[in-house]
Amino acid sequence: MTTTIDPAMSALLSGDEAIARGAFEAGARVATAYPGTPSTEILESLVGYEGVQAQWAPNEKVALEVGVGASLAGARTLVSMKHVGLNVASDPLLTASYVGVRGGLVIVTADDPGMFSSQNEQDNRHYARLAKVPMLEPSDSQEAKDFTIAAFELSERFDTPVLLRITTRIAHSNSLVALGGRAEHEPSGFVSEPAKTVMVPGNARRRHELVESRTKALAEYAETCSLNRIEKGDRRMGVIVSGVAYQYVKEARPRASILKLGITNPLPKKLIRQFAKSVEKLYVVEELDPFLEEQIRALGIKLAHGPSEPKQGELTPSMVADLLGVRRRKGREAAEGLPPRPPGLCPGCGHRALLTAVKRLKVFVSGDIGCYTLGVQPPLQTMDTCICMGASIGVAHGVEKATGRSDNMVAVIGDSTFVHSGITPLIDVVYNRGATTVIILDNETVAMTGHQEHPATGKTAGGEPTNRLSLEDVCRGVGVRDVTVVDPYDVKKTQKVLKAALGRAEPSVIIARRRCVLLDRDRVRHPYRIEAERCVGCGQCLGHGCPAIADVTPEGSRKKRVEIVAQLCAGCGVCAEICPAGAITEVSE
Amino acid sequence: MSSVTNIAIAGVGGQGIILASDVVANAALCAGHDVKKNEVHGMAQRGGTVVSEIRFGRRVYSPLIPEGEVDVLVALELLEGLRHVHRLRREGLTIADDLRVLPAVRPPGAPQYPDDVAERLKGSARQVLLLPAAEVAQKAGNAQAANTVLIGALSRHVDIPLEAWKTALKSCLRPSLLEVNLRAFEAGRRRAGRGGQSPRRGRGGAGG
Repeated sequence: MTTTIDPAMSALLSGDEAIARGAFEAGARVATAYPGTPSTEILESLVGYEGVQAQWAPNEKVALEVGVGASLAGARTLVSMKHVGLNVASDPLLTASYVGVRGGLVIVTADDPGMFSSQNEQDNRHYARLAKVPMLEPSDSQEAKDFTIAAFELSERFDTPVLLRITTRIAHSNSLVALGGRAEHEPSGFVSEPAKTVMVPGNARRRHELVESRTKALAEYAETCSLNRIEKGDRRMGVIVSGVAYQYVKEARPRASILKLGITNPLPKKLIRQFAKSVEKLYVVEELDPFLEEQIRALGIKLAHGPSEPKQGELTPSMVADLLGVRRRKGREAAEGLPPRPPGLCPGCGHRALLTAVKRLKVFVSGDIGCYTLGVQPPLQTMDTCICMGASIGVAHGVEKATGRSDNMVAVIGDSTFVHSGITPLIDVVYNRGATTVIILDNETVAMTGHQEHPATGKTAGGEPTNRLSLEDVCRGVGVRDVTVVDPYDVKKTQKVLKAALGRAEPSVIIARRRCVLLDRDRVRHPYRIEAERCVGCGQCLGHGCPAIADVTPEGSRKKRVEIVAQLCAGCGVCAEICPAGAITEVSE
Repeated sequence: MSSVTNIAIAGVGGQGIILASDVVANAALCAGHDVKKNEVHGMAQRGGTVVSEIRFGRRVYSPLIPEGEVDVLVALELLEGLRHVHRLRREGLTIADDLRVLPAVRPPGAPQYPDDVAERLKGSARQVLLLPAAEVAQKAGNAQAANTVLIGALSRHVDIPLEAWKTALKSCLRPSLLEVNLRAFEAGRRRAGRGGQSPRRGRGGAGG
């Protein structure tokens, strides 16, 4: 089976880019998202398409609410987020399911099995059952595009939001995609229809009834629609599979019979039974939780393998080969004793400077999601909690309430994370008479996901100038009287301001403002160097973990010997600030 | 069993791995192959270890290369080469920049950067080609084109014609960088040619 693709009208696209292309071709008018790996490139890519209003939202809940509004005004709308983003958007999702749509509403959830860049590896297929909405799972970029278009059609046909679930290996794998033209869908405009769109109990009860009958109709549709298909092969082995795992099954057992599920909620029970009967041994191959397997077992169908435990980490082609009994030469052992190479904060990063000041005060740090989370690593080790977007402030406030102390913990949160969900907990601190100290690390961008705009950067997703949200004004506006802006490169002053804030019996916000060093590359800086004759060998400069400072201490020596690698030095001068001997100086040219 | 060629490109975030893998994938595409490419973004940047995988052939299923099936490992750094060399097929080839980059983050108690990294790498694969890629790139006009030097070397050893490589370089690079990268590519290609034989067995020509 080969797909024929006209090379002139095809492109090598990532799954994310293919979803964007699909939304464009389907005539989507509105697209909204909050950046999050591995979903970020969907909206980034949509910004480049004519006719699509593509914008960053402050968080995923807002993104979905904007999506619901656009859909109710009749526009085809795409909302995209990473898996944990759907937790934030779950409130509108579960009721949007009752309300339904006017223009097609497609919600992309990009899951991250293996946690390449996430705080958990939740399996968002469960959301489809919880919200009682259909879910589509593409297995390569071509399907990512095709399924996006199909999802819009399904959404309108069945009056329901549709979840499109991808995983990191779909989002960030490139494969060939045939490109098509755009089919325009004029928005009908908003019309009042309270029975459909005002979810008071009386209306919601009637809508719930419709939701249940919709699920039945969708299950019926799933039995025959082309998104689910049987690939007849050797009848001795049958495999039920969806998403990227399909590719691993084809790799391992190209001749097996396969029931490839494109719709994984609701399941086509008759089709599954029919397929199960047609093969001798039946396998279910899936990543993370036994989501399909448990439902298939519940149909009374016997599988060739025992009940699967929820899996940890991502599936690999080799794991699938083993599961399907393929005899293969085992791979060689990896080389042992190699130093790891974890990611770290860049030379010149303002976060490192700020965390250096925090570390010197020996306080606990309630952390958050962003580059600064890397501060948990040695040698900085300045992070004691990290839960989810915006949690830093609430957690610090909780610690304060439990211990009666606000002088030994700070909350640390990035600018975009603060806008995402740090404002409401700050209101809580003020309202409940707390005295928590909050540090907003303002690097004027969403850095971790690759530098996206947000409301406090003063630019839209497309780079247009817009109102620049003032973090100072927000903090004062919610009732924080002690708001100070510092330059984190000035470690001593930052430390002084921080110490004063911790001693106050009222809430304080310190905004540590320093543009992300990766956005500041053109600025000419002189590197620093260590004057060997003045260096006392204390090693304090090594304590903040700058990649440009190399430990070249000879073996057995108690006195540290340190060098600054000029090519890596960003010239921030933080090491010179913290050197007690004044041995670090700027190379003047 | 499979007619798929598997290339892994490993290095340190910021070395141009993504660009290099874009060039390889596009070259394979221009040569008429089915292509899949995979890489991890996000936390992998910021000086961490990065690996990108490209698979091409008549029909490619998995975007991930199965265990022990890498045909050519392109390493932009020696330690990262050593980290991935066990993934090679027995007859596989390693093309590596003779470059050491110390890890930016050094957890206490972590092993030291191995002094004998080049020797260990040479001892871990049947065929290892070490190139002073930055030096070669410097001579071609820009030390930053070291990744392209290695791709030039790779071009000797896979079934993709020269014209496809050039088209791919044109489509992946900014016009202002094209000239120097074409020179870096040619220089890498010449370097790889000196060894003479193609390491591939029974897989068609060595490309141009």
